[in-house]
Amino acid sequence: MSSIKEKFNQISPSEFFYSNRDLAGFSNPTRSLYTAVREFVENALDACDQKGILPDVHLTIKAVEPEKPDPKPYILTVKDNGPGIDAEHIPLAFGTVLYGSKFGLKQARGMFGLGATMAILYGQITTNKPVIVKSSSDGAIQNQFEILLDIQKNKPVIVKHTTKEVSKKGLSVSICLEGDYSKAGNKIRDYVYETSLITPYASITFDDPKGQKFSHPRFVKEIPPPPTIIRPHPHGIDVERIRRMIVESQFEIPTIDDAMIEKVRKDLGLSAKNLSFTAIMDKAKKKWKTLSRQVRVVIALMSFLKMDFEKLNKIKIEDIDMPNKKLFYWDFGDSQSKSIDMDSESQYYKQLTNTVQGEPLTTFLTKRFQRIGPTTAVKFAEFAKFKPERRMGTLSNQELVQLSDSLQKFEDFMAPDSSCLAPLGEEPLEKGIKKFFNPDFTAVIQRPASAYSGFPFIIEMGIAYGGDIKSGGPHVYRYANRIPLLYDEGSDVVLKVVNDTDWGRYKVKGEPPFIIVSHICSTRIPYKTAGKENVADRQEIERELRLGLQFLSRKLAAYMSKRGQADMAKKRANLYAKYLPQIAEFCTELAGKKKEPNYKKLLEENTIESKKVEEENEIGNN
Amino acid sequence: MKLATTKKEQTRIKERSKKADEKQKNILEMLKSHGAKIYDDLDNGQFPKFSIPSRSVSNIVYDKKLRQYILGNNAALRSSRNSAQLRSFTQLMWLAFFANRLTHEKKSSTLRDVYYSSQAFAIEFEDQSESDNIIVDLEAVTSKPREDFHIFPEERSSIFGDLNIEYTIPGYEGKTMNLSNHPDGYSIGPSLTTAELVDTSAEIVIAIEKGGLFTRFVEEQIDKKFKSIIINTGGQAPRSTRTLLKRLHEEMRLPVIVLTDGDVYGEHIAMVIKSGSANAAHLRELTVPDAKWVGVWATDIEKYKLPTIPMTESDIKRCYDLQKDPRYQDGIWKKELDVFLRLKRKAELEAFSKYGLTNITDKYLPQKLELAKSL
Repeated sequence: MSSIKEKFNQISPSEFFYSNRDLAGFSNPTRSLYTAVREFVENALDACDQKGILPDVHLTIKAVEPEKPDPKPYILTVKDNGPGIDAEHIPLAFGTVLYGSKFGLKQARGMFGLGATMAILYGQITTNKPVIVKSSSDGAIQNQFEILLDIQKNKPVIVKHTTKEVSKKGLSVSICLEGDYSKAGNKIRDYVYETSLITPYASITFDDPKGQKFSHPRFVKEIPPPPTIIRPHPHGIDVERIRRMIVESQFEIPTIDDAMIEKVRKDLGLSAKNLSFTAIMDKAKKKWKTLSRQVRVVIALMSFLKMDFEKLNKIKIEDIDMPNKKLFYWDFGDSQSKSIDMDSESQYYKQLTNTVQGEPLTTFLTKRFQRIGPTTAVKFAEFAKFKPERRMGTLSNQELVQLSDSLQKFEDFMAPDSSCLAPLGEEPLEKGIKKFFNPDFTAVIQRPASAYSGFPFIIEMGIAYGGDIKSGGPHVYRYANRIPLLYDEGSDVVLKVVNDTDWGRYKVKGEPPFIIVSHICSTRIPYKTAGKENVADRQEIERELRLGLQFLSRKLAAYMSKRGQADMAKKRANLYAKYLPQIAEFCTELAGKKKEPNYKKLLEENTIESKKVEEENEIGNN
Repeated sequence: MKLATTKKEQTRIKERSKKADEKQKNILEMLKSHGAKIYDDLDNGQFPKFSIPSRSVSNIVYDKKLRQYILGNNAALRSSRNSAQLRSFTQLMWLAFFANRLTHEKKSSTLRDVYYSSQAFAIEFEDQSESDNIIVDLEAVTSKPREDFHIFPEERSSIFGDLNIEYTIPGYEGKTMNLSNHPDGYSIGPSLTTAELVDTSAEIVIAIEKGGLFTRFVEEQIDKKFKSIIINTGGQAPRSTRTLLKRLHEEMRLPVIVLTDGDVYGEHIAMVIKSGSANAAHLRELTVPDAKWVGVWATDIEKYKLPTIPMTESDIKRCYDLQKDPRYQDGIWKKELDVFLRLKRKAELEAFSKYGLTNITDKYLPQKLELAKSL
């Protein structure tokens, strides 16, 4: 058993991803080039979003040897005007797998910055070239690193490190990788184009290997409000997550060595003086509120040991048996183990209990989850058949599972907090659609926040008709957390909802020129695959999509019927213009007259009538 | 062909052409007044409109007094304001215009010719049935058959017998013709339909359904043997033929008998000659209410032991349909229909050939002519 465990431990995360790179979207040169572009562009946008900077992102793809046939090595560079990364973090951030700054619970494009490292890894595997990172986090000095990954050890190898003076903050990452632009080009261009639609506040340029430049300047000057980091919702939790939270909440008994004693002295302001035990306790009581947890635990131990610093230096804590209220320690002087009883009434006893056994259940719930107050916490404890004051550190594995199950089942928790979400907003979305498609009709909607399995989400949708839009619609533009989803649309929940719609009911017929934009924002998008290209049909998400689309479809139907009326009026006017002169011609001869009757008045009246309808139509659309 | 030369005859010709002119003048006047109304509407900034008797099934009723189907009082408004009617409005306007020219210039046209002529005036008809339908519209609005506007059907039936006629069409005015001069018979076209019927020695008109039998009758000199005028209806009699039958009956005082195949369709051919069709309910000049159907009856099949073939499903369905028709509720019409339904078999006129090629003219016809007197 132990040897197997050792074997597992020997596989570093880098190695694991190396052997499973298909999962992350690096299955072939075409897909890999596209995925690498995505990862770097999304990281750049995320970095700017987090700091409220209007992003300027420059993407460049250059062939190392342009004459060679695809697949061949390309140099991919993504440069941004974001906050940059401090020099000390760069080697770890770009040279190890599973190092990232995106661990908090809030909406972001990527989760852990994993994809970028995967791209670097893929580049290194296929071309054996280091990643070149240029970063300035202060706008004065730029650090330039050339880094290789040690795959076995999951450690960065710095090939080169130089600095130079610059005038701007920002990060530039450049990798060399094997790719197939002739096949991936379309998707990459679509990706850049569609990204600029959902990121209207960003300016994105793309220099492609064939020398073409694609420029998407920003057309919205305000960045949408950034999401806040929040605690998890109880419905979105599992056993493993609870276990980790308990570990975070527990505090290890500090080793009482010279350094620790020195720290306690310093914090109490007693560095120079040697005070008696009681004097130390008095001082600690006064300064209690300012003391760190570590120091408090030491003071609590001292209170039971009834020792000053000098004596404390000569013992070692062995065990703290809270249920039996006993404290065991090794006395170096006497060279033997000793024990003392702890007074459970003492305030220091409680301090130790918290440290050793973790927080009571109710405190754990209210402090570490969103949407749980003391009343709810007590009600939940009753529901889950736990004592409210039950210490988290004392839960058995089975009890943890029971707790986790109950958290899922308890229905009185409030809906998840959606402040961690960053939808684009109706106005920028509408602006984007109008700019991109120049449509005759546009409608957008942002649905109220909802949740699936404890993860909050918001659906934003837009619909547009006519103008520059190609016929053969609906064309669906899918986004999740401001990422365009281009592959695997067939199995996507958005497509399902769109295809389920009977467009004839909304007066949309034939091969209509219309588009649908759908944006799902969530702290966790339920992707069907690791490639992050299609969203699974969660019932709650499907329902919100349906409601959103219904709302927009009704607006479209209203527009279509007005448009139909205007078309009809136009057609009618054309009919009159065609037939009335003929009627006039024939009846003139029939009536034996020479001059044709003055029927022009009728045509004018008709034109006026049809114009009226058109005008109304325009007013309705605005 | 001989020219009428005596003074008396010349006066008569003048009278006749005066009568034809009168008729033409009336038609032209009527068309003009319709045109003037539409002209005035347009000139006054109004959308022209007119009402047109409804030809829907619910508006077709049987008039017992007139002994034919007529249109009820329902009328539809056709307005050029209604964009859905604009096309047919214009088509009808053009047709009136075209009919006006035909009548004015005394030129003849056919249903098919009308359809093709429309193209020269940028008038669109989807197909001939659309233009045929507009022609019926014009008939309905004016209560005049299309023949009055010089529009004739394509199909021709024919006539043979001692009948003198005098043409009224341009270039032939005053010329006369005896219709027994040519053994193939004379096709009943525009010139014959508009000709004056001068005189005849015939005492009866025999309308027969089939061209083959018509030829046989001519060969057997039925015209002479029975002092008759023979008319081949060519199946369902065209309107011009029905008009001619009516005129022979009214102007020449000749009784009309009808001889058809021994089946339900034959029975109805006779009925249409007698009392018109629902399709032409808007017209009243096309019936010969005194016409008599003399055979082949269903009862003849049994009586003469004729060879038969079984009725088809559509024959039987037709029987049931006609049982609902008010004209088939009594007399010979009801009786024969019932026997057809009982026999479920039918016989052709040619069935008599079993007993010899001339059996029909030698035996059957004389018996039927005798019988007709008592019908």
